[in-house]
Amino acid sequence: MSAEAASSLQRNQVDLLEFIDWSGVECLNQNSSHSLPNALKQGYREDEGLNLESDADEQLLIYIPFNQVVKIHSAVIQGPEEEGPKLVKLFANREHMGFSNVNDFPPSDTIVLSEDNLKGKPVLLKYVKFQNVRSLTIFIEDNQSGSEISKVQKIALFGTTVETTDMKGLKKIEDH
Amino acid sequence: MVLEATMICIDNSEWMRNGDYSPTRFDAQKDAVSLICGAKTQANPENTVGVLTMAGKGVRVLVTPTSDLGKILACAHGVEVGGEMNLAAGIQVAQLALKHRQNKKQQQRIIVFVGSPVKYDKKVLELIGRKLKKNSVALDIVNFGEEDEEKTEKLEALLAAVNNNDSSHIVHVPPGPSALSDVLISTPIFTGDGEGASGYVAAAAAAAGGGFEFGVDPNLDPELALALRVSMEEERARQEAAAKKAAEEAGKGEKGEPSTSQDAIMTENVDPGTSEPEKKTHDLTDDENALLQQALAMSMDDSSSTVAVRDTDMSDASADDHDLQLALQLSVQDGKGDQSNPNDANNIFADQSYMSSVLAQLPGVDPNDPAIKDLLASMQNQSEKKEEDSESKEEEKK
Repeated sequence: MSAEAASSLQRNQVDLLEFIDWSGVECLNQNSSHSLPNALKQGYREDEGLNLESDADEQLLIYIPFNQVVKIHSAVIQGPEEEGPKLVKLFANREHMGFSNVNDFPPSDTIVLSEDNLKGKPVLLKYVKFQNVRSLTIFIEDNQSGSEISKVQKIALFGTTVETTDMKGLKKIEDH
Repeated sequence: MVLEATMICIDNSEWMRNGDYSPTRFDAQKDAVSLICGAKTQANPENTVGVLTMAGKGVRVLVTPTSDLGKILACAHGVEVGGEMNLAAGIQVAQLALKHRQNKKQQQRIIVFVGSPVKYDKKVLELIGRKLKKNSVALDIVNFGEEDEEKTEKLEALLAAVNNNDSSHIVHVPPGPSALSDVLISTPIFTGDGEGASGYVAAAAAAAGGGFEFGVDPNLDPELALALRVSMEEERARQEAAAKKAAEEAGKGEKGEPSTSQDAIMTENVDPGTSEPEKKTHDLTDDENALLQQALAMSMDDSSSTVAVRDTDMSDASADDHDLQLALQLSVQDGKGDQSNPNDANNIFADQSYMSSVLAQLPGVDPNDPAIKDLLASMQNQSEKKEEDSESKEEEKK
């Protein structure tokens, strides 16, 4: 497993951080002082003191749109031993889900995080389900110890981009 | 200007028949609702508002969130008062309606009017509050009507469960002389956490007559406002002229000090009974005077007729007081002298609206200019002062 994890990086999987469309990122039930950028953004997510925390109960619903079509290969979800997430469901290309309809659709993938994962070991996803992803919804259903608040220290996604046209590179053909 | 979708929950239970908020609790509520709708739609054109009723046969959505203000205001018609309010169901239906809003970028907000007793447990309400917070729905509670400790306690608990960063508020409105809407205007429910809507609020307050004299907003009805203002000025001018006459008569022999008027604005303290010699001299420059009279002379058509009549009145009403008589004669002469020119203008001044329109058309003449007001006053004095003299004489005798 560890060999696979290491080799995932060799296969040109990049951190999809730079393809996240930050203007559309949403998180339901987050504690406003411990919010999503603490887990997603470069720098913040490396800081162990800064966590994403849930508010009213232990569930969290995170919506991440991308500015390009991507394929997601694996994910890293780090958190504290006790309050870190346990059961996580991922939905590809579902816009604006709410807690009420999160159980209406089958998830694209379901992962159960172990202690190793919470320490930084990447989780391999069902790659076939994530070939054409415009947006990702992460539903954290419960946490390791069953406490009232779930805490996430870092969320990182790895994958590749699909060959999409970069509109900025589009230039007019010069006439001879 | 927060982009928001709002659902307003109206309490139309039997308790709303009470008249402790005029005219009835239900009507006061309806006013407040229409004000809120207006404020929200003005704050941001993309805002949507929906309305539902909580009592009656059951929770019923009158209009789903829409930005069409007319539709929202119309839906409140024909709502019957009766039944018992179901707070929990009302809030949940509101939440559902918001979930299905067209524009998912809008923030969700529920405004609930609670006028009747709350029959749900605190626990149940707290659960509902937490669910709202989890789905990032803000809640504003208007606590009015029935008052009991339990109700207040329960609503406060609900607010505490929902509140996230002070985006939710509760307002307690006790019964009293001021209307429900007026009390709400100053609350964060209207001002939306300090931003937006304040412009609308000011206009609404003004339209209600609070900010403007005469209770008429010049923006809405300029002619009416102007006519009211001019007639008020005319009345003040008359009164002041009468006072002036009294002062002149009192101090005629000694050539009372010419006190220069400060702004030449009519003072409200002037009434015909004052004995203080308060002479007001006109600050008009001769140029202005001549110009204005010229303009008026050009535009007038009527011929004067009433002056002669007033002269006869004068002689009939001659006083016993010798001084008074002298003064009267002097003033008559003064009047005649001044009347030679704007003779015909006197009748024009009888027609208020015509005069105001003429003034408005004259370039460089601002009807509000104190100098112009003075001139008007003086004109009016001359045409009416005969009657004033007889009036003031009678009052002096008293």
